[in-house]
Amino acid sequence: MKSNTIQFILDNEIYTIDWSKVDFLPSTTVLQFLRAIPGHTGTKEGCAEGDCGACTIVLAELTQDNKLTYKAIDSCLLFLPALHGKQLITIENLATKTPTATLLHPVQQAIVETNASQCGYCTPGIAMSVFGMYKTLKIPDTKNIIDSLSGNLCRCTGYGSIIEAAKMACNTIKPDHFSGIEPTIIETLKEINRSTDAIELSHKHQLYLLPKTLKQALELRGKYPQATIVNGSTDIAVRQNKTSEFHHQILDISSVTEIKQIITTNNYFQIGAGCSIEDFKKFVQQNFHEFSPITDHFASLQIRNVATVGGNICNASPIGDLIPMLIVLKAQVKTASTVNSRMINIEDFITGYRSIDLHNKELVTDIIIPKRDNDSYYFSEKVSTRRDLDISTLSIATIIKLSKEGTVDDIILVYGGLAATVKRAKSCETFLLGKQFTLSTISETINLITNDFTPISDARSTTEYRLETAGNLLLKCYYSVLNELESK
Amino acid sequence: MNNSETIFLPHESAISHVTGEASYVSDIQLRNNLLWGQVYFSPVAHATIKSYELTEALKIDGIVDILDFTRIPGINQLNTHMHDEPCLAGDKVTFIGQAIFLIAAKDRETALKAAKKIHIEFEQLEAIFTIENAMAKRNNLAPSRRIETGNPDKALESSKYRLKGRLETGAQEHWYLETQSALCVPGENRNMTVFASTQNPSETQNVVAEVLGLQSNQVICEVKRMGGGFGGKETQANPIAVWAALLADATRQPVLMQLSRDEDQKITGKRHPFLSKYEIGFDENGIITAYIVDLHGNSGSSFDLSIPILERAMYHADNSYFIENMRVTGTMWKTNLPSNTAFRGFGGPQGMAVIENAIDSIARFLKKDAAEIRFKNFYQTQTKNLTHYGQLVNNNRLSRLWDQLIKSSDYFERRKEIEKFNHSNNLIKKGLALTPVKFGISFTTAFLNQAGALVLVYKDGSVMVNHGGTEMGQGLHTKILHIAAKELGISKDNIIISPTNTSKVPNSSATAASSGTDLNGMAVKDAIRTIKKRLKPLAIKMLSKMNPTVNTGRIIFKNDRIYSKSNPEISISFAELAKQAHLEQISLSATGYYGTPNIYFDREKGKGKPFHYYAFGMAVSEVELDILTGNTRIIRTDILHDAGKSIHPEIDKGQIMGAFMQGVGWCTTEVIRWDAKGNLLNCSPDTYKIPGIGDFPLNYKAELLKNANNPNAIHQSKAIGEPPFMLALSVWLAIKDAISSVADHTKEPDFSLPASKEVVLLSIKKLKESL
Repeated sequence: MKSNTIQFILDNEIYTIDWSKVDFLPSTTVLQFLRAIPGHTGTKEGCAEGDCGACTIVLAELTQDNKLTYKAIDSCLLFLPALHGKQLITIENLATKTPTATLLHPVQQAIVETNASQCGYCTPGIAMSVFGMYKTLKIPDTKNIIDSLSGNLCRCTGYGSIIEAAKMACNTIKPDHFSGIEPTIIETLKEINRSTDAIELSHKHQLYLLPKTLKQALELRGKYPQATIVNGSTDIAVRQNKTSEFHHQILDISSVTEIKQIITTNNYFQIGAGCSIEDFKKFVQQNFHEFSPITDHFASLQIRNVATVGGNICNASPIGDLIPMLIVLKAQVKTASTVNSRMINIEDFITGYRSIDLHNKELVTDIIIPKRDNDSYYFSEKVSTRRDLDISTLSIATIIKLSKEGTVDDIILVYGGLAATVKRAKSCETFLLGKQFTLSTISETINLITNDFTPISDARSTTEYRLETAGNLLLKCYYSVLNELESK
Repeated sequence: MNNSETIFLPHESAISHVTGEASYVSDIQLRNNLLWGQVYFSPVAHATIKSYELTEALKIDGIVDILDFTRIPGINQLNTHMHDEPCLAGDKVTFIGQAIFLIAAKDRETALKAAKKIHIEFEQLEAIFTIENAMAKRNNLAPSRRIETGNPDKALESSKYRLKGRLETGAQEHWYLETQSALCVPGENRNMTVFASTQNPSETQNVVAEVLGLQSNQVICEVKRMGGGFGGKETQANPIAVWAALLADATRQPVLMQLSRDEDQKITGKRHPFLSKYEIGFDENGIITAYIVDLHGNSGSSFDLSIPILERAMYHADNSYFIENMRVTGTMWKTNLPSNTAFRGFGGPQGMAVIENAIDSIARFLKKDAAEIRFKNFYQTQTKNLTHYGQLVNNNRLSRLWDQLIKSSDYFERRKEIEKFNHSNNLIKKGLALTPVKFGISFTTAFLNQAGALVLVYKDGSVMVNHGGTEMGQGLHTKILHIAAKELGISKDNIIISPTNTSKVPNSSATAASSGTDLNGMAVKDAIRTIKKRLKPLAIKMLSKMNPTVNTGRIIFKNDRIYSKSNPEISISFAELAKQAHLEQISLSATGYYGTPNIYFDREKGKGKPFHYYAFGMAVSEVELDILTGNTRIIRTDILHDAGKSIHPEIDKGQIMGAFMQGVGWCTTEVIRWDAKGNLLNCSPDTYKIPGIGDFPLNYKAELLKNANNPNAIHQSKAIGEPPFMLALSVWLAIKDAISSVADHTKEPDFSLPASKEVVLLSIKKLKESL
């Protein structure tokens, strides 16, 4: 018997949604759901595209060793089925209330004491982000605070008081009322998650498939090749919210745990397609820190907590943040169907503007990244109008290998944001090969960028800026390599 | 017992904010029958409407009604003064975003489905979007205005040095977190209750009444709070309230409308973009001898508030500087964009940016420090204290601010360090700038400077205060609470500030022009004075009864007690007094009123006293610039601001920080582009970038000027909402300073506002090429 229901914890009780009884779509967002049920209007819509954080909620979910992990997430970008087997914590849950008194959570108390709310509309989201920080025991230094709150816009305070509030709240973290009930929550979630059957939510206009194992996912993919694949939903939800894009069939693979891991072997790293960008960010910090300028400024924590490596690649956006570094790292995309499996170079996998080489019964399961070449230099940079929570105007990622004589032995030079896809600057690469790695060579190379790219002017920037900066980024790369050479 | 006057409570809604209990328009829960209202707006900038077809849309299940202009029962007009803004377009559209139809549906999805079935045939007309284009077509909104003092032409002629310049300043989207919204509930006899997110409930009430063909007394408008306003809900909250009211009136069901973020950004007006041209004369010391400036604003499609905004830009063209010979000419140009509107600063920032940029150029030309040139030109106290429009600059605190801030910010030390840094770094450059603000406080339309209040004392001693001002996060209600508590001498816990409601206080002005506390605080004080006057004889009677020898010369209301100044040990509680008053048939409620005295302006002569007083402030900012990308970041900002004797220092500091950062957005990342057809390209936060938490200065310090009582306003305080916005010009000019260092300050860089990464990078490129 296929399950037509999802279950999660809300207000410390099990909440069941049975699609044989309700009228709304399975792909209703958590924000839309909260605002439609009584007593949960504290969660606000500010933009419906994950760019303001007013709708931030926290999801507590079981880790593999049956502990709870708390994640701040934009509820406008989350489809309801993603709540299955998790605890949904909203702003209404933070304080403990008696009929006559309200005992604020330390996070709330800090916001009040630092005068960190003005109009109050962004405040629930801010409080939930700080709460997420509080529960994940981060050191409340300015860097971590900015990292945790860059997904929350506030137009009134100017942020200084919010930084103070976060510092005050997270300075001395004590067990709160959530800690007390964790054992019960864990048991309840284990119970909900006991069944490993795939969930198939059937609404008169929409079939929403939520497999839990890779095997189920591949079988469903084979059975419903037309279903839209969702792996994190942070992009598709924006389109649903803003363009009324409608999907009759959705195959949501974000609950498949097997593809969330990062496996290290002697020669390569195997990144599961379901690995969250936040986990990947940490992986990059440890293994390829030269690309942290991109992954550290990838969207916001709320988005990184649910968006996936597979999702970013399969979107094949010309400004997809991960693609340039993966090309540089000669990553391979591993796909699977119920019958076979393929390995494709990432460069070949992306076939055009938002188009990929994925057969209609396949899923991307992993990304294989060879281990770093310690004889090469890596460099990356992302340029955007605002430092955080901004899509790149353009980006660069490179790997350069120099000979003992100082000539360029090997180079991969990739730009995002300059063409319809992320693309290598092939004329520049060819020109550089065998040449002395000097400022004059770089200056000459810069003149060749127009051979490789004719960038457009759009809402984010101008052709002139993109071209000028593309050259400058190569200069930056040169100075960065020079620095490393000198420090050796 | 605590002295309640010295305890500053957090924002009166702070606890509701953090628990999520604070209610905004779209949070109001109704029992049933609630319909969703959707506006259908013009997708073209300038066209005649040849025909349209609604039948297909009306057939969709769940559509209750669709209104066009013929269905308006009253006047099809949103602007009750200028009559240049139809509520629903009839035969012609003049901008993208202009409302044509209103849809009432069971939900938003259904309404959007219906909208797709509406067909309109347009005949496109030539459209104008830029100031230059409007100039070429002589499409001015109204005749140019002029304010002149001395003999600017002659003085310019005889100036030792002259510089010419041109400056563009950009539009800015308000980006209040809560988009425009209204909930209308129809009542008996076509009466209408409007829950709106408006800075101007009285005007919203009036416009709803006119469009519905009702009298004002048939419409109630209530505002609990707004999720941000910043000027964007001064006039432009009216349309959505009127649209929802029209649908509620037609369907006899409650209607909620809330614009999506993209709709809000597309439909509503922005800060006026300006194009300014100037010529400035000065001597070898940098003293300005003449200044002639033409300010050109892009009004968009209609009047809205464009003329008062232009006036304020002209009044602030001098910023903080005494200029003996000066002429400022201002023109608003009409274009096919959504009508630009009020935004924090109200033209002031646009006027000030020009003179600040000009002084920066003077300093570079003379190879002197710009802060010193500024100091030399400041208004003085005894002489050189008359503005170009003839108002005396009273209680001038510019040199006090300068003295203290120069020291506390280590300005000159850091100037040297930065110079050293820039000489030894080629890829990263630093810049530093000090800028002052002098901002005139009052509505420049004199009659608007009035406010009303209604104070209700209940017989248990609790108090409800009603006033005409609205809460949009600025802390007005909190300040009013502090004022009322001080005036009544009772604990703040016993006072509630009521939602703003037009059935309590009529004919209020917009909560705008930074004047909310000044005007409404005075009105509340006036109401309380009336109540206390009534209660005093009773208090004397009660105190004398307790002790016949009590000296009843002066009765004090303090710490919830009422007593005689000379016998404080004998007292009654406020609750006892209230209860007794009720028993003795003494009225416990009173209205209060305040009108700012002695404000006038002669527009023909360009002279007068448009402002009640001035607020002053000053900032020093240091930035770091990546010359390869044009990206900048603020290293440090020091602010010293004159808030008078602050009613609530923490709220005032919050206003300073918030205004400053909003100004930083205008000066740096908030770029707005339109395409050739007038479509707004940056119509969502995806591409329109207000500052985020990572943009806050690495080091930030703001202080209020001490010993700065203001004799002109409530409890000697000063208005705070707008003036600190312009402190962000320090960041803007610090960026210019950093750019300029690329050519070792030998050349004037190309510059405009915002100093976006594009502007900065291309300016650097040009400087490098010129070397």
